[in-house]
Amino acid sequence: MVITGSVIMVMPGSDVVVEEKLRSFPQVTCHAKSNSGMDMIVNVEADNHHELESLCQKIKDDIPEIIDIGHVYINFEEEIQKIESGTWQNYYNLND
Amino acid sequence: MDLTRREMIKLSAASFAAAALNMSLPRNSSADEEIVVDKWVKGTCRFCGTGCGIYAGVRNGQLVGIRGNPKAATNFGFLCVKGFKGYMSMYHPDRLKYPMIRSEDDKFHRVSWDDALSKVTNKFKELHQKFGKDSVAFYGSGQCMTEESYTFNKLWKGGLRSNMVEGNPRLCMASAVGGYITTFGADEPAGSYADIEKAKTLFIVGSNMAECHPILFRRVARHKLQDPDNVNIIVCEPRLTPTARIADIWLPADPGTDLAVFHCMARELIKNNWTDSWYIENLCRFSTGAKVVDFNAYKQFLEQFTPEAVEKITRCPGANIKEAARLFGSQCPTMSLWTMGLNQRTRGVWANNLMHNLHLISGNICKEGADSFSITGQPNACGGVRETGSLCQLLPGTRAITDAAARADVEKSWKIPAGSIDPKPGFHTMEMFAKLGAEDDTSKPLKAMLVSTTNPAQSLPNAPKYYKGMKDAFLVVLDIFPTRTTQLADVILPAAFIYEKGGVYGCSERRSQLTQKCVEPPGEAKADLWIAAQIAKRMGLEKLIPWNGDDAPTSYKMAWDDYRECVKLTEHTLFGITYDRLTQMEEGLQWPCPNDKSPGTSRRYVRGHDPLMNMPDIVKVPSSALIYFYGDKQHEGKANVFLRPYKGPEEPPDKDYPFFLTTGRVIEQWHSGTMTMRVPEIARSKPNAYIEINPSDAKEYGIKEGDMVKISSRRGFNIMPARIVKNSLPGILFVPWFDQTWDRMINRVTIDAFDEGSKQPEFKICAVKIERVGDPKDVADMYIISDVNTPFPLKI
Ligand code: SF4
Repeated sequence: MVITGSVIMVMPGSDVVVEEKLRSFPQVTCHAKSNSGMDMIVNVEADNHHELESLCQKIKDDIPEIIDIGHVYINFEEEIQKIESGTWQNYYNLND
Repeated sequence: MDLTRREMIKLSAASFAAAALNMSLPRNSSADEEIVVDKWVKGTCRFCGTGCGIYAGVRNGQLVGIRGNPKAATNFGFLCVKGFKGYMSMYHPDRLKYPMIRSEDDKFHRVSWDDALSKVTNKFKELHQKFGKDSVAFYGSGQCMTEESYTFNKLWKGGLRSNMVEGNPRLCMASAVGGYITTFGADEPAGSYADIEKAKTLFIVGSNMAECHPILFRRVARHKLQDPDNVNIIVCEPRLTPTARIADIWLPADPGTDLAVFHCMARELIKNNWTDSWYIENLCRFSTGAKVVDFNAYKQFLEQFTPEAVEKITRCPGANIKEAARLFGSQCPTMSLWTMGLNQRTRGVWANNLMHNLHLISGNICKEGADSFSITGQPNACGGVRETGSLCQLLPGTRAITDAAARADVEKSWKIPAGSIDPKPGFHTMEMFAKLGAEDDTSKPLKAMLVSTTNPAQSLPNAPKYYKGMKDAFLVVLDIFPTRTTQLADVILPAAFIYEKGGVYGCSERRSQLTQKCVEPPGEAKADLWIAAQIAKRMGLEKLIPWNGDDAPTSYKMAWDDYRECVKLTEHTLFGITYDRLTQMEEGLQWPCPNDKSPGTSRRYVRGHDPLMNMPDIVKVPSSALIYFYGDKQHEGKANVFLRPYKGPEEPPDKDYPFFLTTGRVIEQWHSGTMTMRVPEIARSKPNAYIEINPSDAKEYGIKEGDMVKISSRRGFNIMPARIVKNSLPGILFVPWFDQTWDRMINRVTIDAFDEGSKQPEFKICAVKIERVGDPKDVADMYIISDVNTPFPLKI
């Protein structure tokens, strides 16, 4: 499971529309927005990094008012657990 | 993960994002603690020249996560996939953990550090005795920390008295250095990234920023999209890259022909009066390179570059060039940004000069939002190699080794006898590898090489030509993973990853940032600086390089202080950039920074911004001058506007080899893939190289998506799958260079012709032919060289 801390940047004046449209993406949680309304603080959740990338692309495609989705933090929980448990070989088995 | 914990992680992650906007979330008081780390350690990303600030999360002595530093002036907290994930390669089981020596059975065997270092230094000493001081070379990297490059440079030039010092920035940045030095008399840009958000027009040339410098591109894209009607983007680039897709004007010139485009733009600027007469009169010197001429001669020279004539040479529509010139000259301020597409050429220096011409005649430099800005590819090509002078013709402070006063100054700083530094430059990279060989080969004066943090067996153009030299010579490789180069080595010295040692990186905008050591290196791997200092000690040069202790932070600080002192009275002074300040400051500091009160310099050559304008002990500037290019060798404070003749690429397509081949990076992979290919998500998203072909060419050659295609030049061939895409123009093919699979190592195909001035090779352009050789095949093997004893694929 991947959880991001991200900023969605939207066209001026489109924040309410974007918030509305984001409701159809249960993987996105909105926390706050800037005074200008152009930046929204969100989480995006996905099964893995691949899915995260395609989900973000789909969000951008479906909501043209979105200028950009930028990530400041990505929590790779499983990977950290693998680091901790020392199961590197499994993690790095590229064909698994 | 239970709901509560998951919610807390979400809140923590959101609070990091909020910090990037200087906001706080209503309910995040304890959220930070939920991403469980023992500490967050400040540092920089090591996967491109943007210089993104990061925090590395450490738990139980291991790095468990990276987050963006919201206070970093480069990235404001945002990171790309390499920034988030690239570090994970440091825990890959293939890490080199023990020193190894190749034995008589032709296999590597583990030895002690003492044995490995003795082997290296005894051999170096023996070769010095037999063949002289210039028989052993150092080949470094724009990924070494500044302290490391400085130390190896000092060891070679000051200790061993040899200028046989080079680094891979020769392959990526040398033409930018040549361009800045010939135009302005001093290396590196005048402005900063902050000019991006102030520019009304951005001219992006030979750079797929969207993939190669994604966070910088993000700044450009955000700026554009926030005010799409008033911010203009021009992209000059033969492929319709993701970068070109946001452009208002695309200038799709054939590879290597853009000199004509730039001259045409200059002609349009002048014809339409989009020039700045004050800049022309006071800051420009017009020059053919051989003699100084006047503005009228420049105007006349440009007359040959009409839009119609240039369209014929370049295939770039003349109307687009005219519109680009209009935006450049009338919608100011204008900032240009470029990378390898301009540099990796046989006319790379000239291309850089012509970019500067446009800015100088239109007054688009030394002002907010206006700059002529070369972006560096590697994280420390600027800070580590250019600024420390770790190339064969340079001294610290990017001073010429042929300059007697500079040599005397460095000798004094290094406390070595006057006259110790050889005034003759060593071999540049391509010459170095061409002249590397066996002891009994009298045509090869170089007999040994120490390679640090780079992989020339994969990254040199026309690489196979140089394999025999590498194999025959005594080759020592300092790295963290097995590579194509370790396969040719005699000794492997296991090094530390950036977060296992710390040190300073200097990014494209003259900004130095300190990474603090986070964790210990694995096995017996050692900080690279320790390795350099131990070699120095064994070569009897402990006094010159005394920072040979085991505590990495102490040693790196000693080396940094030595370097600060060495460049104290140069145009590149960073004397005020101390470890203490770098530790305290979130955003690092930009040089010139002459003392510990200086806030650094965001805009050079401008009174009120650049402290050197008032520092006569470093440069002399008339008190009345507001803008003054103090690097000018004529002491007039002017920059050269060059009348460079048009010249195309070294090997244009012809009837036998009818295609242009251009090579480059992709967003997921870093350089030769030795690190990024070891991160599963990254490997899976770009598992192999491929050849991008325009649909019309594919049709003509009967090639379908995924078909296996042989791509051949006069030097060699590759076989890889086809990707049929509209973003390559007809006649232009693109192949990324990260893949280390023998069949798909594109530098077996590229050309090793180089720029006469900068000696930088023309990676970006050569002539090739293609042929369909089979149906689609699964080659997504994510190949990496895992075992140091995997034999080299070619019999040498
Ligand atoms: S843009 Fe470059 S420096 Fe920034 S996170 Fe990505 S790879 Fe690292």
